[in-house]
Amino acid sequence: MNAKSPILLVGVGGAGSAAALKVREAFGAPMRIVLSDTDAATGREDAPFVLLGGDRLSGRGSGGDTVQARLAAEDSAKSFDEHLDGVRLAVVTAAMGGGTGSGATYEIVRHFAELGVPAVVFATIPFSFEGEDRQRRCAGMKSMVEDAASAAFFAPLDDLVGECDNMDEAMRRAYESLAAGVTLFWRLLEKPGYIRLDAERVRAMLSGAGRARFAVATASGENRAGTVSDAIARSPLLAHGSAPVRSILCGVLAGEDLRLSEISRIADGMRDAFGHSCRFELATVNDEETFSGKISVVAMLFEAGQEDAPEESSGQSAPKGQRRSRRGGQSALAPGSRTDRFSNVEPTVWKGENLDIPTYVRRSITLEI
Amino acid sequence: MTNIHAALEIGTSRTVLAVGEGRPGERVKVTCHAEIPSTKIRKSQILDMKQATRSVQSVLREIEKQKDEAGNSLGIGNAFLVVSGQHIKADPFQGIALVEGGKVSQADMDAAASSSQRMPLPKDRELLDAVSQAYTLDSLGGISSPKGMSGHTLKLDTLQIHADANRINDARTAAEDAHLELRDPLFAATCAADAALDDRERRDGALVLDLGGGSTGYAAYCDGYLVAAGVVGVGGDHVSNDIACAFQTTHAQAEGLKMREACAIVGLDKESTARVTVPGFSPLMEAKTVSRRALDTVVNLRLKELLSVIREILESRDLLHHIHAGVALTGGGAAMKGLDELAQRELGLPVRIGTPANVDGLEDAANPASYAAVAGALMYAHRNYERKPGLGSLFRGLFR
Repeated sequence: MNAKSPILLVGVGGAGSAAALKVREAFGAPMRIVLSDTDAATGREDAPFVLLGGDRLSGRGSGGDTVQARLAAEDSAKSFDEHLDGVRLAVVTAAMGGGTGSGATYEIVRHFAELGVPAVVFATIPFSFEGEDRQRRCAGMKSMVEDAASAAFFAPLDDLVGECDNMDEAMRRAYESLAAGVTLFWRLLEKPGYIRLDAERVRAMLSGAGRARFAVATASGENRAGTVSDAIARSPLLAHGSAPVRSILCGVLAGEDLRLSEISRIADGMRDAFGHSCRFELATVNDEETFSGKISVVAMLFEAGQEDAPEESSGQSAPKGQRRSRRGGQSALAPGSRTDRFSNVEPTVWKGENLDIPTYVRRSITLEI
Repeated sequence: MTNIHAALEIGTSRTVLAVGEGRPGERVKVTCHAEIPSTKIRKSQILDMKQATRSVQSVLREIEKQKDEAGNSLGIGNAFLVVSGQHIKADPFQGIALVEGGKVSQADMDAAASSSQRMPLPKDRELLDAVSQAYTLDSLGGISSPKGMSGHTLKLDTLQIHADANRINDARTAAEDAHLELRDPLFAATCAADAALDDRERRDGALVLDLGGGSTGYAAYCDGYLVAAGVVGVGGDHVSNDIACAFQTTHAQAEGLKMREACAIVGLDKESTARVTVPGFSPLMEAKTVSRRALDTVVNLRLKELLSVIREILESRDLLHHIHAGVALTGGGAAMKGLDELAQRELGLPVRIGTPANVDGLEDAANPASYAAVAGALMYAHRNYERKPGLGSLFRGLFR
């Protein structure tokens, strides 16, 4: 384990932890990693493990219950603190749609944010055939994770897998794709290159970042720059935007033979595909051992966030419990929520939060009534 | 007759009047008590004076109907007022006296105590209590009885509990309009501690959480002294409001769900997956069902948050690890299912329901811990006013 790295990889839930282990395996060098799950069986000897909600769930898993997983993660959030010494950026892998991946990720990322550690989340979205229930569970938590994380990349499993009729193969391909993306991102951060991307530059980029999308592509051969550029532009993973792209992070990973013209070709291709007016950040990695003869590109697109949206109020910051969501502009108060019972008396404010507002509303808990 | 006292609490959920008789030692027997649901009181603040007066009149009438042990009708002229609400604060203050003659005398101790009563308070604050803690003689602290010790300067640490004078006056006005004179206003949480804790617990370190409708009072004791007290403006009314919001029920329905069905611990057993019936409140309102797990989750989130706030307050004062005797839960909220277990988890301390231990006459009450504050007020009255002359007016027309 690279104890000095300012970047920590955190796997949440069974699938998220498996993806994190794949990243470590693919990276091939020591890295800081923590696995976490409500199911004690996910723990293993060769990686630190945080059992979420041991007292609450006895290590048996959340049974697909998002709320239980959230409460479990909240119970155990402080257990992560011992792994955060010197950490400047957390990279979180998770699978949305299940109990722990959906529920715990938000609480863990929120805890990191409270400690001043920005988190980049890479998560999968369930296959469409998995049904409305999982999709709904995912959708509810997805927007909350987006709010809590500095950047969150959600990859629909449908898009990650492509055409594949075998379930085992589909799942393997999905998590390998996710792991490949995270690994390339990790290499961008950890490996030297002409244009270095480190944790501090990422922190600066992520400040005020909105919803994010990511894709990776690899190509070799004579026209490898053109091929990889076209693959990125056509990637279905980048096609799910709902707002204009505000900034682009383009990571180019190659061997010693990477040419300036190739970098230029890739950068131009991405600007052509996603907009010339947005902020463009480029980083390169030169790793002959891993990328000899080929080029891999990691593309991260950040949509316009809250900071770009017009303010409706006088600009004064609302109390934490009444803050508007960063994404949809929807009030934190769910429909039907009532605080008027206490509206005529002095509010109970604790650490900036109005405790008169129902706790489940402030915590954005979706109840299955 | 002077060992009979009354205590009134105009709370968010209910208005309570209790009458007690002093017994040998510090024990009190509650001879009769009455309560009615309060109306238009939010977080312990009266929003409708007429309603508050009517509530006091109602409990007075109820008490008057009841017979004391001798079969006499009671007419009450005055009562001690039990107050709660987040306007109540506690601040440390030190009384000081110069020791005359080099050895501490009773007069020196009285002078230090007198000095400790002179903490300047803003005009809108009213002192409820100045609770003595330990003495410091020159640089030697933690002295419980300095009489006869040698030194020059004697200091007495106190905890000054004070409240918004306007809130106290509102209660006074409501009571006086009901022809009930109010005596000393007393802080509910310390009253509850008087009733629920014994001396050994106070010495070993104990915490009382008085869970009212509009707020939760706390009183922490270490080495026999009250070391921290205060109020968090979250109570059972918040739990009910959360339930009403979550399940779109009336407040009364939510109140019923809270007390009859909800549990502060979300279980994973079969029962927790069941559905709970919410009866219709009127012929036009059909009964409906809600998920028990969702109900328990709403309650768990609220109470867990409340306990975490209290834990943080105690941790910030480095008190939590001094509380060895555990926590006593008092007030109407103490009866909430699973709250004791949740508190044990959240505070990491043994927790029990704070049934008044030094009080007789509440054996048949459905939730004796809900009377801890008024019972403690009766104990205070018995301790401080028994056999003192000039209290003949306490009971107007007693045995009339």
